[in-house]
Amino acid sequence: MKIYFNSIFYPINQALRPVIVKITALGDRCDQQIKQMQRLGRTIALALPLAMLLLCAGPIAAAQAQEAVLTPRQVTEYALTLEKLEADFYRRAVTAAQSGGLSGVPQAAKDIIVSYGQDEAQHVADLSAVLPSLGGNPDMVVIPTNPNYAAILGRDPFANPADFLLVGQYVEDLGVAAYKGQVQNLLAAGEAGKTVLAAALEIHSVEARHAAGVRFLRQTLLGADVRPWISENARTKQNASSVEVIYNENRMGSPIPFSSDAFDGYATQSEVLALVGPILTEAPQTSQPRPQTPSNQGGSTENNAPRALW
Amino acid sequence: MKQHRSLSASRRGLIKWGLLGFGGLMIAALPKAVSAQSSGRTITFSADDVGILNFALLLEELEAAFYAAAVDSGQISDSMELEYVQVLGAQEAAHVTFLRSVLGDQVLFETADLSFNSSGLNAVLSDRSTILNTAVTLEDLGVHAYNGAGPSLTNPTFILAAGSIVSVEARHAGGVRALLGRSTTQPDSDRLVSDDDLVASLNPFKGQAYDELYTPGQVVAIVGSLGILNNPINGALVA
Repeated sequence: MKIYFNSIFYPINQALRPVIVKITALGDRCDQQIKQMQRLGRTIALALPLAMLLLCAGPIAAAQAQEAVLTPRQVTEYALTLEKLEADFYRRAVTAAQSGGLSGVPQAAKDIIVSYGQDEAQHVADLSAVLPSLGGNPDMVVIPTNPNYAAILGRDPFANPADFLLVGQYVEDLGVAAYKGQVQNLLAAGEAGKTVLAAALEIHSVEARHAAGVRFLRQTLLGADVRPWISENARTKQNASSVEVIYNENRMGSPIPFSSDAFDGYATQSEVLALVGPILTEAPQTSQPRPQTPSNQGGSTENNAPRALW
Repeated sequence: MKQHRSLSASRRGLIKWGLLGFGGLMIAALPKAVSAQSSGRTITFSADDVGILNFALLLEELEAAFYAAAVDSGQISDSMELEYVQVLGAQEAAHVTFLRSVLGDQVLFETADLSFNSSGLNAVLSDRSTILNTAVTLEDLGVHAYNGAGPSLTNPTFILAAGSIVSVEARHAGGVRALLGRSTTQPDSDRLVSDDDLVASLNPFKGQAYDELYTPGQVVAIVGSLGILNNPINGALVA
């Protein structure tokens, strides 16, 4: 079993290594994480439990009672990982558009996608420039050559505007929650964390503007029942085609009323990496529709949708 | 620690507050906004967590009153735009309720203590375009103000709460900008504080890909330029 994990899921293991060290407690917590994971939908229900097993079975898992405090360097490396993924995600959308794939989308919307991609690329460049001063090396923060974005919906997200914008919403909302999940760590670092805290805040709200923009496009172009803000008691549990956010937006037990539409939730690093882990694997090298694999078969008829609407 | 005691107020309690509070707040803010001519009493903000939360409360009150007046103006007729303005107003009112709950007896002013300048308010309510563009200014300002407050907060729950609110303000800014066909992010030409005036230590990055951190003093200057609020503002926080 272990050999299987190490060979097939080596990239996940690598991506989650910091998490394995930091992951908190067994039992309830893993149950909670598995519940969250189920909110992603059945289509990736096979990939995630494996990642979760890695998380929950980490040798040091039981050693710590709660999520570890990340250093400013660790936060920066983590943020840079997510930004590299986001920048790559938009680059692929632009490539799809250039090859005619975005033909059903108004030019104004294409311009927005290009602009968001530029923002993410700017975040990558600037976080990369800051990292050495924290003792890190931006070149050591790597993502796969071909991230497995199909893991999110169980199908290629660049095949049609509806899928692309839905995944864009998931990605941007998760980015907002991920940055928010680090502000307390950066505050705890005191003076040493001030620069990265300021940087994180400067980026965090821009990701929220992106999320709002993508949501607006879904509402106005696609007629989706979504608004720039996350709705009250947002759907996080149903199948992937109707989930509004993929992380635990309506966190209970806090004095902050996260389930209210006036308050955005947050996600911890381990929660985010559990969601992103399947994407941080090398995608199969095919330009054609991929053969069905166990990891994208669970979702019933979704895979039968036309692949090229634009 | 009063704020700690207040913070532990149950979520159920906060929600109940919110449900009961929204209507009252909207009604309470509105007549004041259109009738008050006096300068109102001075509000003095201390340079600590309590001062920062009270300052955030002031901005939320301003936004909530603005949206209530915008709805009442009858200038927003498109159903989608009206829904946005109504929801944004309700969310700002929820922020007001939350901050008042968190501050408890350390709140510096009541809604009724605020005095809005009726001619200034009428000017920004004159038509649909002015209303929506003013909303953009207020929301952008709120984003930069919360961002600027972040590194000065000391209580970890407060910074998480500020983070929970600021991204909603950014969604508002993005949403209203989108209604207007404006960029959802803020182009340099829309910047409310110029590069030269930004505090370098607070702003490692600048430009459209970032929402820069404004100081409370810079925020007060921009609020003043809108000509909506009569109350004089001072104190160490905004010095």
